Amino acid sequence: MNGAKICAIVEKEVADALKNKMIVISMALLPILLVVMVLGTAYFMLKIDEPMDEDDMSIIPAELQDMDPMHAFLILMNDQYLFYFLLIPMMMPVYIAAYSIVGEKETKSLEPLLATPISVWELLVGKSITATVPSVVLTWLSFVVLVIGGYFVMPEPVFLALIRPVWIVGMALLSPLLALLSVFSGIIISSRMNDPRAAQQVTGIFVVPIIALSLAVLAGKVFLSVSVVIMTAAVTLALDCVVLYFAVRLFQRETILTRWK
Amino acid sequence: MIRAEGLTKRFGDNLAVDNLTLHVERGEVFAFLGPNGAGKTTTVRMLAALIGLTAGRAWVNGYQLGVQNMDVRRSVGILTEAPGLYERLDAVQNLQLHAKLYEVDDVAGQVQKYLQLLGLWQRRDEPVGGFSKGMKQKLAIARALLHEPPLLFLDEPTAALDPEAARTVRDFIGEVKGAGRTIFLCTHNLDEADRLADRVGIIKQKLIQVDSPGNLRRSLYGRRVVVHLAAVTELVRTAVEALPFVQEVQQVENTLVIGLEEPEQQNPVLVERIVAAGGRVQFVNELRHSLEDIYFSLIQEGEQELEK
Repeated sequence: MNGAKICAIVEKEVADALKNKMIVISMALLPILLVVMVLGTAYFMLKIDEPMDEDDMSIIPAELQDMDPMHAFLILMNDQYLFYFLLIPMMMPVYIAAYSIVGEKETKSLEPLLATPISVWELLVGKSITATVPSVVLTWLSFVVLVIGGYFVMPEPVFLALIRPVWIVGMALLSPLLALLSVFSGIIISSRMNDPRAAQQVTGIFVVPIIALSLAVLAGKVFLSVSVVIMTAAVTLALDCVVLYFAVRLFQRETILTRWK
Repeated sequence: MIRAEGLTKRFGDNLAVDNLTLHVERGEVFAFLGPNGAGKTTTVRMLAALIGLTAGRAWVNGYQLGVQNMDVRRSVGILTEAPGLYERLDAVQNLQLHAKLYEVDDVAGQVQKYLQLLGLWQRRDEPVGGFSKGMKQKLAIARALLHEPPLLFLDEPTAALDPEAARTVRDFIGEVKGAGRTIFLCTHNLDEADRLADRVGIIKQKLIQVDSPGNLRRSLYGRRVVVHLAAVTELVRTAVEALPFVQEVQQVENTLVIGLEEPEQQNPVLVERIVAAGGRVQFVNELRHSLEDIYFSLIQEGEQELEK
């Protein structure tokens, strides 16, 4: 594999993505919204400070029963919201990957690119890096902003829950793995799709398990632990490998040029 | 430069190219003609190592297809049917990407050289999306030449261009030809092929015929001169028909169309005899069948062959 060629692809992809307003707006919007939502919820709930009724208390898991009910409720809410942070590395690469692959089909720039002495692996690595790295960095960056904001807005027990190992490990491990899953499935889907928007929508299916897990946490069915996160990461890694295998098999010069409609 | 033997490509049940044997020499402009779906683009894609061969063998610039594909790609330049540029990027960024992928030593120098050569240097920093079709096509040609390939594949280089842009592109292809590069030109523009090509190949799944436009004309129609006279008298016509080298004579009003073997040698004698017979010669031209006539005649022949 030739690093200079991969860099050339990354350079071009970044320059192209930065000039695409839709991508820039979609990339910036989701993290900003999430940070504002989490901090806003904490701020207003603490400000209202109404006593919690019994129904609300019933969803507090046993691990948090000894705490102030409002703090316990906020931790539960934060845990649910933090799942949405994991949607950033899933949603964002889809925008970039869909445009960088399906978009090349649309503009017919893929054939001249494939005519160059670049290997399929170099091309895929370049495109995957461009789609994965910014979304993972943005996820981490928005998490850091959230933690800084949380330090000022949240009471100490809620803030400490925000930076407990489960979330540090979750952000560190799950964001890149989920981003890769999103990118590789985007490559597969783009082999059957004409339209970048259609590719984005189909890739949205992968968001469903994350939403389901977050709802289980909100319903008090699952309390997040490091082992749950590691297990989820292991499943995602296995999925990554399977999806990558099919992505590489499908992403062949001849298939792309002659069968991509 | 290109040596293809029995090149065949099948997509499922569809036979796109059938047993194509072809040699293209160094420095030659070879025009590949055929109707839509005849297999021209598929042949180019096979020869540029973009798609595999179903059967046959081929060497491009000395590298064997299917065995040394990366070397083949490195040694050829290709202008695809659509320019396929990155419209949000500027001209320099578009060329830089390809220069780096071809591992060009002096990326900035080569980019500047071709942008200047094609008259795009002044607009190098503008997004390509704002360029005219002709400018985009020129940029795509520059992209194909950045790594100085000895062999250039041009797929419909002037299609969808206005006459002025088409002329500029054609003139540039002429310059590239002058620089000693081999050019494999796929085109629907028969006049363009006639003007630029040393040899033409006519394909409809199978290669129907390969030769220079001149030889094709001779083999299909022979050579004819058209003599315009003030008036064609019986005496003049008899005098012409009496010449031993005259193959046939047709009269259209005051014009005689005369079949000759070697007009360069025989015209002076012919004119002398007409004048001696009292004829007043106004013009003498060679009757040139267009490549279009040749093309349709050969395609028809090919279709009959395929039906058999």
